[in-house]
Amino acid sequence: MTPRRGLAAFLAGLLLLAGIAGCGIPEESEVRVDGQVTAARSGSSSYRRDEPPGPTASGTDRSAFVTNFLSAAAGEADRAYYRVKQFVAPDGRSRIQEKQPSEVALTVVRLRETPVITETTDGIKVTLRVQQIGLLRADGTLVPPVATDTEYRFKLSAAQEDKPDAGWFVKDPPPNVLLLSDDALRQYYQTHTVYFWNTDRTRLVPDQRYLPLAVPDERRVTEVVKWLTAGPSEWLGSGTSRLPDGTRLINNATESDGQWEVNLDMPVDADDKRIEQLIDQLAWSLPELDGQLELKIHNQSRKKVPDLAAHRRANPAYPITDDPQRFCVYDGAVHPLALAGEASGQVPVAAAYNKGVVSAGFSRSGDAVLAALVTTGADQRQRLTVGAGAVPVSIFQRSPQSYASMGRPVWLRSLDPERPQGLVVADGRLYRFDGNAQLRVVPLTVEGGVTAVAASLDGHRIAAIVGGGLYVAAVNLNGGVVSVGPARRLVTSLTDLSAVDWATENSLDLAGSVGRPAVYQISVDGALETALRNDVGARVTHLSTYPLNPVVPFSSGNLMYEANGVAYRNNPFDTIKRDQVLEVTPPPAGVRAGNPTAPFFLY
Amino acid sequence: MLAGRVARLAGGMHHTWRRSLQVRVVTITLVTSSLLVGGFAYLIADKITNILVENAETDVRLRLNSGSDYAAKQFSLYSQAQEAQLQDTIDGTVNYLAGGDPQQTSGVVVGIIADEYTGIIEPRFSPDVEVGPLISRELRATVAGGNIASQIRTGRLAAGPTKYLVYGSPVPTRFGQVELYYLVPLTRQAATAADARATVVATGAALVLLLGLLAALVTRLVVTPVRVAARTAQRLSAGLLDQRMVVNGEDDLALLAASFNQMATNLQRQILRLEEMSRLQRRFTSDVSHELRTPLTTVRMAADLIFAERDEFDPAVARSAELLQAELDRFEELLTDLLEISRFDAGFAMLDAEPTDLVPVVHRVADRLAGLAERVGVAIELDVPEAPVIAEVDPRRVERVLRNLVGNAVEHGEAKPVLITLGHDQTAVAITVRDHGVGLKPGEEKLVFNRFWRADPSRARQTGGTGLGLSISLEDARLHGGWLEAWGAPGQGAQFRLTLPARAGDRLTTSPLRLVPGDAALPFGGPRDGGLLAIGPGTGGALAVGPAPATGDRAEVGS
Repeated sequence: MTPRRGLAAFLAGLLLLAGIAGCGIPEESEVRVDGQVTAARSGSSSYRRDEPPGPTASGTDRSAFVTNFLSAAAGEADRAYYRVKQFVAPDGRSRIQEKQPSEVALTVVRLRETPVITETTDGIKVTLRVQQIGLLRADGTLVPPVATDTEYRFKLSAAQEDKPDAGWFVKDPPPNVLLLSDDALRQYYQTHTVYFWNTDRTRLVPDQRYLPLAVPDERRVTEVVKWLTAGPSEWLGSGTSRLPDGTRLINNATESDGQWEVNLDMPVDADDKRIEQLIDQLAWSLPELDGQLELKIHNQSRKKVPDLAAHRRANPAYPITDDPQRFCVYDGAVHPLALAGEASGQVPVAAAYNKGVVSAGFSRSGDAVLAALVTTGADQRQRLTVGAGAVPVSIFQRSPQSYASMGRPVWLRSLDPERPQGLVVADGRLYRFDGNAQLRVVPLTVEGGVTAVAASLDGHRIAAIVGGGLYVAAVNLNGGVVSVGPARRLVTSLTDLSAVDWATENSLDLAGSVGRPAVYQISVDGALETALRNDVGARVTHLSTYPLNPVVPFSSGNLMYEANGVAYRNNPFDTIKRDQVLEVTPPPAGVRAGNPTAPFFLY
Repeated sequence: MLAGRVARLAGGMHHTWRRSLQVRVVTITLVTSSLLVGGFAYLIADKITNILVENAETDVRLRLNSGSDYAAKQFSLYSQAQEAQLQDTIDGTVNYLAGGDPQQTSGVVVGIIADEYTGIIEPRFSPDVEVGPLISRELRATVAGGNIASQIRTGRLAAGPTKYLVYGSPVPTRFGQVELYYLVPLTRQAATAADARATVVATGAALVLLLGLLAALVTRLVVTPVRVAARTAQRLSAGLLDQRMVVNGEDDLALLAASFNQMATNLQRQILRLEEMSRLQRRFTSDVSHELRTPLTTVRMAADLIFAERDEFDPAVARSAELLQAELDRFEELLTDLLEISRFDAGFAMLDAEPTDLVPVVHRVADRLAGLAERVGVAIELDVPEAPVIAEVDPRRVERVLRNLVGNAVEHGEAKPVLITLGHDQTAVAITVRDHGVGLKPGEEKLVFNRFWRADPSRARQTGGTGLGLSISLEDARLHGGWLEAWGAPGQGAQFRLTLPARAGDRLTTSPLRLVPGDAALPFGGPRDGGLLAIGPGTGGALAVGPAPATGDRAEVGS
């Protein structure tokens, strides 16, 4: 009896202990399956659609191989070295020093002539005569060139000694550069405009970037947002403001059900106004997005835009509403031009002041019009007459100084209608003027006589021809004082530059000479050049454009220029004839009718 | 040493267990309540732990789901595993899901593994720790197979081993599948579970103790009066017939006490009555014996006269005188025996012990009965040591017992020899008397000591003997603190053994001589000649008797 009870007690104690010890969280448990995830969607084919061709694509064609070599670096930066090295013979690959993906910079060159390929006893030699255009950074900006080489030489070798048709290798590639031809830049990149606020946060300033076409559509939003957080290009730095330091995109911008989500890390808490402005930046920098966009800061939803297209319509990047109107100077007075299919306007200047005009620049500012007229006095000296107000402008101030020659005045499209600012070139110097026609010299960071000046649509960038070279610079209007930031020289194949104006947000129409007078369109960084007209016939003395922009589309020709006293227009290229000038009293018989000159746009 | 102590302790406990009802009740209460409370505590603690783990699992599952959705969204931008920046996105996603700051460790580790793209996509964990075997191969295989799965593992990521809930989910992407893992430490849950367990255990232990205490208290309430009753009963049985219990209140125990007291009173009365009656009876016997003795003396004297002059009478009268003489002898003997018995009954018998050599006593008895033996043709053989056998005995009584035993043996010896054996050891002396007469039937070994008992009642008492001899012998042996036992078997004769302590007052444990003679045949064949009997527990509670094993301790057992 007793031993059995003892046993029972012992068992009970054991059970108690085991129970207490055993019911904790186990050291290790079985794998517990909790559900299934449906199989992954199959991959789409959008990958690598625009990769540059590889080294074997050219076959035995040596010149095609060289062309492909000059486009090998195109694409996403983190694989640029890999792609280039495919072209290089294995023993020469060590000559290429790899950098971090974020520091990869491609040397963009323009071939002055087709590559010279000579076969010598020493092997096949390739000589590239180039013009340095700039350095394409990983963030899509093209900065002025640092290399000064005008010639690159390297040798080709057969990829396989015994098989001559196996293709080629670059034997001794130029050290420490990744070459990219401008053709490749055009072919494998697309330009993309992102917008930054000016220093006053009153106006968006466009900034041009290059986006590799290899980047899939889904990732473009991510790239754009990364650009926005990284800040504007260097040359715009003085005229624009950045997002708060440390702002960065958390992972990728993602899309689900047509809604894009941008999640930012922002160390400084931004108020709603800043968020609104960021949304504007995003909306204009992502023109391909029309649907919803949600902006999150630290995972907190700050703003949801239901319709980006509507947002852009409601918040235009530029304060322009109507189609531009064309004017010209005819017989010493400003007259409207009437081109077929376009509406023409009234001269916004009171008739009393509309005489002795050499050239003029008008700008709309709200309901008012800013007018600047270069007039010739009796002393054959030129003066600037400036007026502002409702149409017709009848209050004008005349500049006290007079000059031997003045260029066409341009208005900086400042948002502040009370303090209009303009620029004009007079006697080889750049002046700024205000509503009182007080001219003051604008100091530039480059030496040389100023030939022409043009202001962009946003009013914060100018292009100028200084000392025969083309420059762009950012303009800062802080405190009502025009200050021009560091000027950036653009490389162009044109010489003898005579006139310039902004053709689009990020390109200039430039008149110069390629042996004979020509008009080219050139991107704001000088990389892309397009010949608009090669047979102008005479030196262009005056050039005016309406900058094409996404706010008010304009399909008609946006370029007018004057050469040899004759005004021309583009699209189609044609002279502007006298009968297209309105409000003209026919000349008395026997007197030879004059030509319309100095055509310009009012917008 | 230790074993001895343990055995002693076990013995003590056993003793206490048998002796104390309170201990038994308390122990049983403790054991059963421990079982119950333990089971209950196990259930509760298990439930709490399960709830905690389930909560953690639900929590992690939610995080995993949202993390998986987020990762799927992030990776939906990529259609090839080789794509540039996919690794960056994986890093960023892992960091983001882990809480953004890789420096800050909340203990949760988030990781992405791409088993399909080993070598192309590096596994990443945030914070960047060596997760190693925390994600078991089975779990990896299960998750890689498209299942959301979880497992609890113990591992050492920071300081000390920690239990981790490892939860994995596949993240479908356009280029295939990657696996997202959350490793959440269960430190807090383990601590809470331990807390809950400690509370439950403490409560349970307190409850068990309380129950034990309660049981002890209740038992004490019951046991104390019972003990008092037991003590009272002991005193009563010791002869203190006027002992009574205290009656408190009107409960069951009070009823018990009252009934007990009533019983004691009744018993006392009965006992006193019986004592009185017994006393009267003994007095009567004694008185009658004494009263008969005086006329008997007169009758004896007259009968002696007639017997002496019988030759002068008519032969028929002479024969009557002889008969008268003989019956008077018997009558006198009977009276003497009756007086002796009544002395014993009255408790007047006194032991007059003195150191005595028993060898001459045996010889004397044999000599005295030699005449009778010769008459019936029985040889009396003696097996007596040469040396004196000294014991503190009353020689008169021992001689009477021996005379009685030997006389009986001679009487029933049927002309076969009678053996008297004297043996002794340190503590005791023994004398056996063996005859080879008709023997005793089974069960008669005890009856022979009854007063006036006769083996065959129909058989007339031809020979002398009053029927009181063995009763008186038994009383004599008891007076010495000794034993008188009988053995007999039909056809094998009988043996009587008298065992006496060597020192008066000592307690007997064994006898130097065996009760069953060596030449006796046993019903089951018996042991070899001179062998020992082994008696021990048999099947079904029976007593097993058989030959003893050749070796082993010898133990001889008395009655």
